[in-house]
Amino acid sequence: MRPTSSPILEALNVEVSRNSDIVIENASFSINRGDYVGIVGPNGGGKTTLILALLNFLPHTKGTIRLFGSDIDKFASWEKVAYISQQATNFEKHFPLTVRELVSLGCIRKGNIGRRFEYEDWEAVDESIRFMGLTDVAHRRIGQLSGGQKQRVFVAKALARNPEIIFLDEPVVGVDSATQEKFYKKLSDLNAEKQTTILMVTHDLTSVFCRMSKVLCVNKKVETAQITQELDPNTLLKKAYGEHFHFVFHKHECTGVFERDSR
Amino acid sequence: MNVTAVNLLDLFGYQFFQNALIGGCIAAAACATVGLFLILKKEAMIGDGLSHTAFGGIALGLLLGINPLFTALGISILAVFGISYMRRKGIAPSDSAIAVMLALGFSTGLIVISIAQGFNVELFSYLFGSILTIDLNDLIMVTLLGLSTLLIIGTFRREILSMVFDEDDSRVMGIPIKTLSIAFDLLVAITIVLSIKVIGTILVVALLVIPGLAALKLELSFKKTLLTAIGLSIASTVLGIMLSGVFDIATGGLIVFISIIFLILTYAYKKVG
Repeated sequence: MRPTSSPILEALNVEVSRNSDIVIENASFSINRGDYVGIVGPNGGGKTTLILALLNFLPHTKGTIRLFGSDIDKFASWEKVAYISQQATNFEKHFPLTVRELVSLGCIRKGNIGRRFEYEDWEAVDESIRFMGLTDVAHRRIGQLSGGQKQRVFVAKALARNPEIIFLDEPVVGVDSATQEKFYKKLSDLNAEKQTTILMVTHDLTSVFCRMSKVLCVNKKVETAQITQELDPNTLLKKAYGEHFHFVFHKHECTGVFERDSR
Repeated sequence: MNVTAVNLLDLFGYQFFQNALIGGCIAAAACATVGLFLILKKEAMIGDGLSHTAFGGIALGLLLGINPLFTALGISILAVFGISYMRRKGIAPSDSAIAVMLALGFSTGLIVISIAQGFNVELFSYLFGSILTIDLNDLIMVTLLGLSTLLIIGTFRREILSMVFDEDDSRVMGIPIKTLSIAFDLLVAITIVLSIKVIGTILVVALLVIPGLAALKLELSFKKTLLTAIGLSIASTVLGIMLSGVFDIATGGLIVFISIIFLILTYAYKKVG
């Protein structure tokens, strides 16, 4: 399923400052339902700041951010949104939670705070665990999992409340490339099967140009492009990384695991 | 030995001993529950800070002739808001804010004692606990506060756990973090005050932290960890009260010693297993 034309996230001339320094300047872009978006750019370029502003964790100093048509300051339907932070998998190793217990926390939403979970909630928990291939480790403590399994657990937790949009901030840092590939495959399946909109900060440019439908290049300014067969990644990336930057990328790299067969 | 056994059986027949066991078990369960979340939040020191702050409230209550547990509760709640205000306004980070409140509460107590003079014996019982002398009014207060704390935490356990585990994601999920955080700190203050009679202000942090630590050593699920912490806390308290009744040794000290034995045993069990 490819993205439809209804924008669910819009930024119009957005400026974000931190400690009186402008980190994001005049950013304008829109994300449609079903988009799979890579947010790339050099370290310190403002990728995480952009995500935090889009989630209203950081105030934007100028412009407008709209989520599901509502101004971000007035947005209330947070059950449609999931966020997996950069630090998510850096939890205390001995934290006493099993995979199923952690994923079940994803079912908490404004409407059921302080209430017992319904049967449907537990069904959603088990379905998320199954979808992310974690059934065998469902009763294992999260501290005993491998790096790749931990990442999938956090996506399963996000999926438990069936969000329409998921924000991920560098979810594959510190894991081997085979595990990364499996993780990206799961996200591609999620995007294709459930039409979940995904925005992911990543340094893995090959995966972005092979798997994703849109790219945001962030280095204070935000350049955006739809990823098509005709797009020359370097023209876009040089705007964020500088003229000296050259990304060696051949379209045949997108065959096999990376093939964008559903596009 | 026979004399000891008879004495112990006799003790169960006394109202004061029954009151001590009921009050002790409720305080132990509340402490273990609140304490486990404090350990996971890495904020065990707020327990120590608030218990010392409560000392100021106790001295004030004795001076004014009000039930010291009420004044301790009032001062502890004020301290919670003070710590929260200092954090929020950037006046001091969490640990420094706790240190300021601890010092303010304790020095208030010292000043009140030096002004009043003469209630040293009574004050001693609040500093080190005196569960065997708990009267009906105090038992009712401990029971009401303890069961309310357990009920509230039981109801919002998932939300508190989520906040402790990942505050940012919890905020996205619609959990009212600020309200929940203050409510939880208030429950910490209440739990400390209701435990003062059992173990005293000086040692209450032990009942908050040690059962949770011992349970965490067993590497169980959250549900089982919580139940184990409560079980160990109640077991330490009941054994402490019983041994204290039989051998006439300070209850608070015995409870802490027994809970430390449990901690060592769980550590050894995990090492061997």
